[in-house]
Amino acid sequence: MKFDLSILAKHIPFLLEGAWLTLQACTLAVLGSLVLGLAIGAMRTSASPLLNRLAAVYIDIFRNIPFIVQLFFFYFGLPEIGIYIDAFTTGVVALSIAGGAFTSDVIRSGILAIDPGVIEAAQVSGLRKITIFRKIILPIALRASVRPLGSVFINLILTSSILSTITLNELTGSAKIVASNTFRPFEVYFVLLVAYAALTYSVSILIGMLHRYLNRHQEEGAV
Amino acid sequence: MRYGDFTPFDIVLLLQGLGVSLALFVSTTLIGLFIGTVWAVIRFYRVPVLMQLVTFVAELLKNSPVLVQLFLVFFGLPAFLKINVTPTEAAVITLSGNSAAFIYVIAVSAIESVGRDQIEAARVFGLTRWQILRRVIAPQATAFAIGPLTGLLVNQLQVTSLISVIGVMDLTKVGNILNLRTLKPFLVWTAVGLLYYLTAKLVTYAGARFEKRLRAHTAWKGL
Repeated sequence: MKFDLSILAKHIPFLLEGAWLTLQACTLAVLGSLVLGLAIGAMRTSASPLLNRLAAVYIDIFRNIPFIVQLFFFYFGLPEIGIYIDAFTTGVVALSIAGGAFTSDVIRSGILAIDPGVIEAAQVSGLRKITIFRKIILPIALRASVRPLGSVFINLILTSSILSTITLNELTGSAKIVASNTFRPFEVYFVLLVAYAALTYSVSILIGMLHRYLNRHQEEGAV
Repeated sequence: MRYGDFTPFDIVLLLQGLGVSLALFVSTTLIGLFIGTVWAVIRFYRVPVLMQLVTFVAELLKNSPVLVQLFLVFFGLPAFLKINVTPTEAAVITLSGNSAAFIYVIAVSAIESVGRDQIEAARVFGLTRWQILRRVIAPQATAFAIGPLTGLLVNQLQVTSLISVIGVMDLTKVGNILNLRTLKPFLVWTAVGLLYYLTAKLVTYAGARFEKRLRAHTAWKGL
């Protein structure tokens, strides 16, 4: 069979609609996992053994169970207990929860990498705990973990393709429809593969730029 | 008897699914290890053309969703090349390729972790290129790679759950069937999740044991 991409031309608007949905889901999920990751990361590094243990269990569970199983758990399970939310919300919630586990690990190592002297200095200055966390720990930790956070978020974008299994027609879901309408699955999925690769590649370039911008005051040659 | 109830046979079904998942996980890991290492060696010797090709393919595989790769192989290839691909074959091809791409990255950094001076020293002693690779680089690189490799394998184990989407009877697919029959999503997906969790823990444990053994020669033995 000939490799013919022109057949896809009239399906591009439909695919773009799917891409728009992917973008929405990913943006919400990135925000959700950042909030969750900050909370869990703070718990994981807190002095209280209870909070610490709770956070460790959370991370352990959601990192060691496949995302698709978690997704089915929420998608089929929530209506069982009387919570009826649509596939989009379920997908975003599941992505945020799973992403939160990975994000919190990154934030935790960012926090642990802070020089203890800085925190001691803040404590000696009489700052309140919450102020130390918000004004000193968080900015340093977040700035240092832009790159690892970026790779977590890129993974999140790739994982969002799994949302197509719960009837959500995001990019992968709509490509599936186009493939079965045109009977040209090879072309469709090949273009999709390249599109995802281009998307994540450009996101990683943006993250590199953000990293350099945020760390511009650091000394030359610092990692 | 109602067909909506759990039967003792369901446990056999779950274990069968686990067996399929594990078999695919182990076989694709072995194939991926082989291919990924070959790619890394190609890079080590800086074979022209091939090296650029390997880098490009690995980047493409790492930066696109496994689900799309799976669709490309399972729906795309048969339509394009007019061949038959069974779900299991498609799963083996995709997962092996995907593992290979990530193992390639680990293998490259493991090879680079061996100091340049050691290779120069080996060359001065008159060792051939193959001897240097086999006797000097491989043992140290393996010890270095086991840590990241364990992390990767835990991830790849979870990636195998995606093959249920193209109809391989793995653990997730069994979970899906049980869920549709019994309509008890919480129980079913908790059981499936637990099985994945335990397997992931087993992989982590085995990796830690293996790493300890490989690093035994550097461990502090006391005076």
